[in-house]
Amino acid sequence: MSMATSAQIILAVMVAVYLIAKIFKASTELSMFTAALAGSLAGGQGIPARHIVEGAFTYLDIILIFISATLFMNLLKESGGVAYVVRSILIRFHRNKIILFLLITLLLLIPGALTGAGSVTVLITGGMIAVILQYMGLSRPRTAAIIFILAGLSAAAPPVSLWAMLTAAGVNMPYVGFFLPLLVPCLVLALLSLFILGWRSKPVELDKALNELPKAPHRMNALRMGIPFLVFLFLVLAGRIWPHSLPILGLPLIFLISAVSAFLLSPVKLNILEISRSTVHQLLPLIGTLTCVGILVQIMTLTGVRGLIAITTVTLPLTAVILTLCIVLPVSEAVLMWGAAPVLGVPLVLLFNTIGLNPIVALAGMSIIWPLGDALPPTAIIGRLTTDTVGMKESYSRMLKHCLIPALIIMAAGTLMVVFSKKLGFLTLI
Amino acid sequence: MKIKGSVVRKASILVLGLVLAFFAGTSFYQSRRLKEPVVMGPGVSRVLSLSRYFPKIKGSINDVHVYFLEGKEPGGTVCVLGGTHPEEPSARLAAWLLVENAVVEKGRLIVILSANRSATTVTRLGGAYPPDYTIETPWGNQTFRMGDRWSNPLDQWPDPEVYMHYPTRQELAYVDIRNLNRTWPGRPNGTLTEKTCYAMTRLFIQEKVDIVIDLHEAELQYPVISTIVAHPKGEELAAMAAMVISGTEGFNIGMEYSPEALRGLSHREIGDNTPAISLLFESPEPFLDATRGRTDRALLLEGKDDFIVKAGKHGLLFEKIDETGWPIDKRVGRHCSTLAVVLELWSELYPERAVIVEKIPRYAELLEKGTGWFFTDPSHASSDKIRYE
Amino acid sequence: MQLVVTIIYYLFTAYIAGLMIWNLLKSKKWQEEVLYIIVLIPFLLRLLRLK
Repeated sequence: MSMATSAQIILAVMVAVYLIAKIFKASTELSMFTAALAGSLAGGQGIPARHIVEGAFTYLDIILIFISATLFMNLLKESGGVAYVVRSILIRFHRNKIILFLLITLLLLIPGALTGAGSVTVLITGGMIAVILQYMGLSRPRTAAIIFILAGLSAAAPPVSLWAMLTAAGVNMPYVGFFLPLLVPCLVLALLSLFILGWRSKPVELDKALNELPKAPHRMNALRMGIPFLVFLFLVLAGRIWPHSLPILGLPLIFLISAVSAFLLSPVKLNILEISRSTVHQLLPLIGTLTCVGILVQIMTLTGVRGLIAITTVTLPLTAVILTLCIVLPVSEAVLMWGAAPVLGVPLVLLFNTIGLNPIVALAGMSIIWPLGDALPPTAIIGRLTTDTVGMKESYSRMLKHCLIPALIIMAAGTLMVVFSKKLGFLTLI
Repeated sequence: MKIKGSVVRKASILVLGLVLAFFAGTSFYQSRRLKEPVVMGPGVSRVLSLSRYFPKIKGSINDVHVYFLEGKEPGGTVCVLGGTHPEEPSARLAAWLLVENAVVEKGRLIVILSANRSATTVTRLGGAYPPDYTIETPWGNQTFRMGDRWSNPLDQWPDPEVYMHYPTRQELAYVDIRNLNRTWPGRPNGTLTEKTCYAMTRLFIQEKVDIVIDLHEAELQYPVISTIVAHPKGEELAAMAAMVISGTEGFNIGMEYSPEALRGLSHREIGDNTPAISLLFESPEPFLDATRGRTDRALLLEGKDDFIVKAGKHGLLFEKIDETGWPIDKRVGRHCSTLAVVLELWSELYPERAVIVEKIPRYAELLEKGTGWFFTDPSHASSDKIRYE
Repeated sequence: MQLVVTIIYYLFTAYIAGLMIWNLLKSKKWQEEVLYIIVLIPFLLRLLRLK
């Protein structure tokens, strides 16, 4: 049997088992795990404990970032800090939609940009921004669409864009020159998406909104709220200003130190153990998905399925490769999440480099398309997280419908960045 | 007493999980501690620890053996690094053959088999690498740790969100802070990987090394392949070697200039920061290609893969591949012959700094006899001749 | 100093592993329990310094 036939059969088995598991109401994470086991058995590998566990390790560091970042935000939320910020923004800017939208864009972009994770945006600022947007008369599905699209762009935005970083590392390219090629489209597209989806919003009825919003404790003030963020910013910047004089802290510890400062400055007494426990519980679907995706990718690599997908994609005619990027990338993200970067990103960037495109701009273009897949099944991890955070009761497809126009614009922008990457090469030099 | 159903269920799930963890954990434990014997050949005159050049790494996993092969006549000094990226096996194996076979007539050859020993003790997450691989020899099999491109997180944790190279402050992917070929020239107060580079940089300076040769392998879809990457100080030597090899050794090899913009690589930083010329050799390794099919020991050692052949037919590769693949003997042979030719040319160009080495297995010999033929049976060697990597 | 940072990471890993076990014991859904075990394994093996 040829390598291709064998890999196709294994892939078919994995897909079939995944679907059967879903029919039997298994969660997405466990369906992926079952599909991985089935793939391994079909590939004649038995139950390879080493590979299963090694795959489960793939995103351990990212999981630690998620947990520490969410813990930090949950502490701020419980201390009344987030309510304080939202109320302050509303009181000051409720009359001026443009400034309010600019602020919302920044608040939604920053958490994901710093951590590389859209989920951190959803968890940190998404919930509160959703409240503001709903007071502006936007429906919950529309609000969820805004949070989701901006969270995706925040994940792609610099300084930390994991798709770009993982792909760059895979092709031995330094993660240098990406700042503007990522920042410009992310910022422009985020503003554009917010204005498109939020254009019909009405001015906030301030009194009503303030009445309904959670109240901040009396002793909460800008300093108590601001210092934990300043600690975070200081530690991130210190690592860049004095990289060779300070120990390497890593993002999880930076978030933890910020969390400790939030805990110490909280005007109300916080039950850290209970908040930690509920944080882990809240994140289980996310970290479970990451762990199971890691296992799935490892088994796909072991059995040749990953190679089959990669070779099929990169040997399509070039026009087809470029035109289908807007489908292939989100679908690969939906299945593999960041695993899509080494599986597809690496061969695609090498292909683009071979034909003379600018690999940095092309990869930046791909990086803004990838996060759209986070709303799609099977994982739909950020999409699900967003609807939960926003408290959307309507059907999931209503959110997807609202995402459609911004998503098409993002896909077009990303594809054009790939096509015209050579002409946009100047962005990498600044 | 009645035990609740949920307790039984939880206990069953926990036991299944622990069984999985036990088998995986045992495999990780065994492969991290797999002993790799080296039978020192007649050319090895002494073995030092790397920490001799930088005591701060003493006792760490990267306090590796430094093998000295010294001639009767004084001359120059050449240092060969294997295992910078242990997932590139021909690099380590070629260095291994030197220690077990080469005899130096003039000058000195210094060989390090596991430049990043920490990276030999771990395999790539998501990469589905086998834990080890085995080379057949006339007396049995010799097994080697597979290894990865990066140091083991058990030896260096955590990573920063962005790695800034020392001393240039160039930003690199966060994982590359554990990549020995991104941390040159090293940093005395840095991470284990940076300290390892620093120790070797001190070795090159103290031992007055004339040429440092860093052995590697590359995926076929990567443009820098089947080539000698040369620091400006070694351009002439590398260009001459590439020409001679293509005419005499039975294979073609290119020559590339070390780019100034990409920092932390041996071919750039060693040349910039020590008096030595730095060269980096690349052999093809299909196992590393992202489009590879089934990932197993056979692919690692035989280099045969239908998907990569297909990629080649679509013009996506920078090196040829056909159904015969890229067997390990061919890849080891390329490194050995390239090294031998570089030494010969160097010795002709600079007779006072000559390094004349005999019994380096050449490409044709390796194709004929196989890599395993050149290994010595450790069970028949005296214990003082054996070192473990 | 770097060693102190590394030790904090091990302590944090142990803390999270402890919370996972606590949640696992409290959980009433079998799928959630299985997922907790899968997620827990890397934490345990890192703590045991096996991977």
